[in-house]
Amino acid sequence: MNPRAKVEKFLDNASRSRLMVYACVLGLIGLALMTWSLFDQGWIPVMAAMSVGQGIGTLSFALFLVIVLIDLRQAEFRPSLPPAERMKPIEEQDD
Amino acid sequence: MHVSPLSWIALTCAIVAAVIMVYYLIYRPPLNARVKALMMLAVGVLPIMTAMIGNLEGLAATEHQAFCGSCHTMDMHIADANDPDSLSLAAIHSRTIKFGDKSCYVCHKDYGMFGYAMTKLGGMGHVYMFLSEFAWYDMEEALPKIHIARPFKNDNCMQCHSTTGRIWNGVADHNGLLEDLRTGTTSCASAGCHGYAHPFSKPDEETPSDVEAHSALEAPSPEGT
Repeated sequence: MNPRAKVEKFLDNASRSRLMVYACVLGLIGLALMTWSLFDQGWIPVMAAMSVGQGIGTLSFALFLVIVLIDLRQAEFRPSLPPAERMKPIEEQDD
Repeated sequence: MHVSPLSWIALTCAIVAAVIMVYYLIYRPPLNARVKALMMLAVGVLPIMTAMIGNLEGLAATEHQAFCGSCHTMDMHIADANDPDSLSLAAIHSRTIKFGDKSCYVCHKDYGMFGYAMTKLGGMGHVYMFLSEFAWYDMEEALPKIHIARPFKNDNCMQCHSTTGRIWNGVADHNGLLEDLRTGTTSCASAGCHGYAHPFSKPDEETPSDVEAHSALEAPSPEGT
C-alpha cells in the first residue's frame, strides 16, 4: 500500500472523538510546559517551553486539523443548483 | 519571582484553554460545528497566544542574570558579579544601571546586525556543553575547565568606551595602543591591562596585581570615555 493510500485509509477509519481526546491531552501537556516558564525563568523551563512545549502544542493543533480534514472529506456539499440544472450548458441555465 | 502583565495574559489564555479541554475530556460532547469552534479556540487560538507571549517573555528572560545563573557552574561568576566588595571587571560593571541585572548578557552578547541570533546560537552551544559535560561536575571540578568559547572582543567594551574621549585618550597605555585596542590585537581584558572580568576563575599568575585591580576604580568618569 502506498503512503497516500495509507493516509486515505486512516482518514476514512479514524475516530474523530478519539483524535480530539489525544489533541486535548497533548494540548494540556503543552500548555503546562509553556506556562511553567512564565513563573520559573531558569534555563530548563524556558527551553522546555520554547521547544518541547511548543512542539507538543503544535502536534495537538495538527490533530485538530486532521479532524477538520476528516469532516471535510465526509461532508456532503449542497450544490447551489439542482443536478438537472448543472448538466445544462451555461447559456441555457436560469439565473 | 516577577510575573509581568503579559505573562498574566498568557496565563489567562492557558487557563481558559485548559478548562475547555478538560470539559471536553470529561463530558465528550458530539463534535458538531459549535463544539469544533470551541475546540479551535482551546487547541489553536489560545495556546498560540500563550506560546507567542511565552516566546517574548522567554527571550527576555534569557537576558537576565537569573537565567545565566540557573546553571550551577555559573554560581561563582554570579556571586562575584553581585559582590559589592569585589573589584573584578564583572562586579564593577554589574554595579552600574546600564548593566545591572543584565550584566552577563550586555557584556557577552554579540553586537551587529545578526548579533541577537548569533548570541542565541552561542547560548545553545553552552546548553550543549552543560548537558554533555559540565552538568556532571561540581563547582571545584568545573571551575578550571570553564573558559570563554572565543576571545572576548574589544568591540563589546567599545559599545560604551568609544576610545575617542579626551580622558580615555589621556591614559598613556590607551594612547600608545590605540590601534591595537580598536582592532582587537590587544585585549582590554587581558592580564597586563584591566585583567580578566572573572579573575577568581583564572590561575594566580594570570590575574592582575592589586595595584592593577585598584587602578580600575580610578577609571575616568563615563563622560570622558
